Amino acid sequence: MKNLINFIIKYFSWLVFIFYLTICCMMLFQNNPYQHHVFLTSANRVCSAVFGVFNHVTSYFHLHEINEDLHNRNAMLEMEVINLRHELESVKLMIPDTATLAVGEHDYDFILAHVISNSISQPQNYITINRGTNDGIAPEMGVIDQNGVVGIVNVVGPHSARVISLLNPQFRLSCKVKGSDYFGSLVWDGKDPYHAVLEEMPRHVKFAKGDTIVTSGYSSVFPEGLIVGTIVEQIKDMNDNFFSLRIALSTDFTQLSTVRTIRNNRQAEIMALDENTSIRKEDKK
Amino acid sequence: MIKTVLQFIALFIILTLVQVVCNHICIFGVAIPIVYIYFIIRLPINLSVNWAMTLAFLLGLTIDIFSNTQGMNALACVVAAALRRPVFSLYFAREDDLANPIPSIQTLGFGIYIKYLLSMVLLFCILLFSIQAFTLHNLQTTLLRIAASTILCTLLIFGIDSLDTKREKRL
Repeated sequence: MKNLINFIIKYFSWLVFIFYLTICCMMLFQNNPYQHHVFLTSANRVCSAVFGVFNHVTSYFHLHEINEDLHNRNAMLEMEVINLRHELESVKLMIPDTATLAVGEHDYDFILAHVISNSISQPQNYITINRGTNDGIAPEMGVIDQNGVVGIVNVVGPHSARVISLLNPQFRLSCKVKGSDYFGSLVWDGKDPYHAVLEEMPRHVKFAKGDTIVTSGYSSVFPEGLIVGTIVEQIKDMNDNFFSLRIALSTDFTQLSTVRTIRNNRQAEIMALDENTSIRKEDKK
Repeated sequence: MIKTVLQFIALFIILTLVQVVCNHICIFGVAIPIVYIYFIIRLPINLSVNWAMTLAFLLGLTIDIFSNTQGMNALACVVAAALRRPVFSLYFAREDDLANPIPSIQTLGFGIYIKYLLSMVLLFCILLFSIQAFTLHNLQTTLLRIAASTILCTLLIFGIDSLDTKREKRL
């Protein structure tokens, strides 16, 4: 017993060192970002307060570019409204009774949020937004801005939430080339914040540079057809049956300011459906 | 004694806030300013290694929370704090001769201080970027980042030091 106590006293520093090392490694190798505790992420109260103060100052810096982007987007949407109105008129002419046109509820709503913290230089980047459970944000909601896809919510506090950025290798986004049904998964390769790689594209299909990449809508997180980026070049893949495309991202992650969180009104329904089918599969086993 | 403790608490808070701003900076895509290492460098040399590691762990954890890096900075800080004494004794053998245990240009002299500073910053950058490299391995980029960040951090810490010496002279 005496020896043991002597041993502990002699090597106390080593024990302390190993203790801290273990804690750090446990945190470091807990790979799944959905399991992080709110307290240990930037979605906690103190962090969001500090980021809020900084954001008050820095949010003015890029207003000019953001305004330009919004004007462009506005013009595009206006054109789309005009086109759709024309289409609707022509459809109305064909159908005598417009009451038969089902309007139905919207599948998706948006919740506006401000980015209060954002990183682009880390190997795994996260974004913090100033909306939380009190504003209706829940984990696994998609986040977009006026230019394209931004990320997916993963940890939510009462007044703030942390978003896994598209610039995080742990986030894979199912995408397709606009106008075709060939889809692959988009993942960031960690080189620079303006490009990502679209993997697992079928080999036999030819794509042109500058083709638009949009979300496939195969997950319930993002609706179909949101712009992600454009093709820059084709890169060789290790796997022979597929190839990869280098994509210029349409979202400028260096200048994120206002983003929209997508709430899918049918997500619960789809999840319940998925759960039912998986239970049935287990029953069969 | 209490004055020193308060000074270090203030240093802790200021460096954390400065680092929150610095997290958004990445020069040429490689050099990342890491200023909070200054806290570990400035801790009194005669402080026991247990305390140094505890403080370094808390500092690293705080930075981790702000930059969403789960244990990455905390690990680098703890190892750096544990290796601080051995690094210091490489350049300065007679620890007891020091009038003031807080390392600075005045107490150590320019030559020894810059060697100590450079080795600590280099050590820390190697630790931090090799831990990062677990998640994203690219040897060339990692080496480039280590070199660029070491230079940038050393320069920044010199800047902070010069602010500090000015204040001391005025007093």
